[in-house]
Amino acid sequence: MDIVVHEADTDVAVLECSGRLNIVSAPTFRETVAQVVTGGRPKVVVELSTVEFMDSSGLGALVGCLKTARQAGGDLRIAAPSDQVEMVLKLSNMDKILRTYPDGDAAVSDWG
Amino acid sequence: MSATVGGHSLDLACPPDDVTAVHTFLASVWDAEPTVASEDRMALELALVELTSNVIEHGAGGNGVSCSLRLDVGADAVEADLTDDGVPVPIDPSDARLPDALAESGRGLALVQMVVDDLRYERVADRNRWTVRRSLTRG
Repeated sequence: MDIVVHEADTDVAVLECSGRLNIVSAPTFRETVAQVVTGGRPKVVVELSTVEFMDSSGLGALVGCLKTARQAGGDLRIAAPSDQVEMVLKLSNMDKILRTYPDGDAAVSDWG
Repeated sequence: MSATVGGHSLDLACPPDDVTAVHTFLASVWDAEPTVASEDRMALELALVELTSNVIEHGAGGNGVSCSLRLDVGADAVEADLTDDGVPVPIDPSDARLPDALAESGRGLALVQMVVDDLRYERVADRNRWTVRRSLTRG
């Protein structure tokens, strides 16, 4: 998967992801979020509109990153999930844990 | 790794192969089977990648694991089986449940169960065999 990090605000980062979030890419995803949080941006938006596939390994990575962000005083939000990602979020009930926004800007501006 | 799209089968040796080969294989199967609806494709891709990930993660000893995936696309349903030469799996797939919301693993088999009509595991002649069946959506 490809991850482009946008430094949206002093403490907010938007990670624009594409490809697959699975057992192959989950470690890289976790490392990228950890670096962003350690670098001073604990409010993390994960933009998933062009992630064509996510599975339980990807869900596990999102949960791990949610904890990492919260431990640093921030949070993790989902933006623009693709149909496949939305299906997996709903099946796993994680749509109730991971706040989802229609796009990255909405997730960022909601932090004010 | 070798794949036969006409017969819809894929053989993997992990490592170096990983689930990327399953994604690529399924894309070629869907090209050959254009009548399978996108909802069914999403469900089957999730199920088969979850099962293969489990095999690679838990079934591999020090020498890795070899597995074979076969897909049979019928008029009403897709049946698939995944066999591997890994260690036996001490699990009853019908017991699979979603873990606590903040767990970072353990959702795979529960998700598979939700997207297929039948999920079975058996140990056959020193191999693990996972079988799934999903009735096809009719548009």
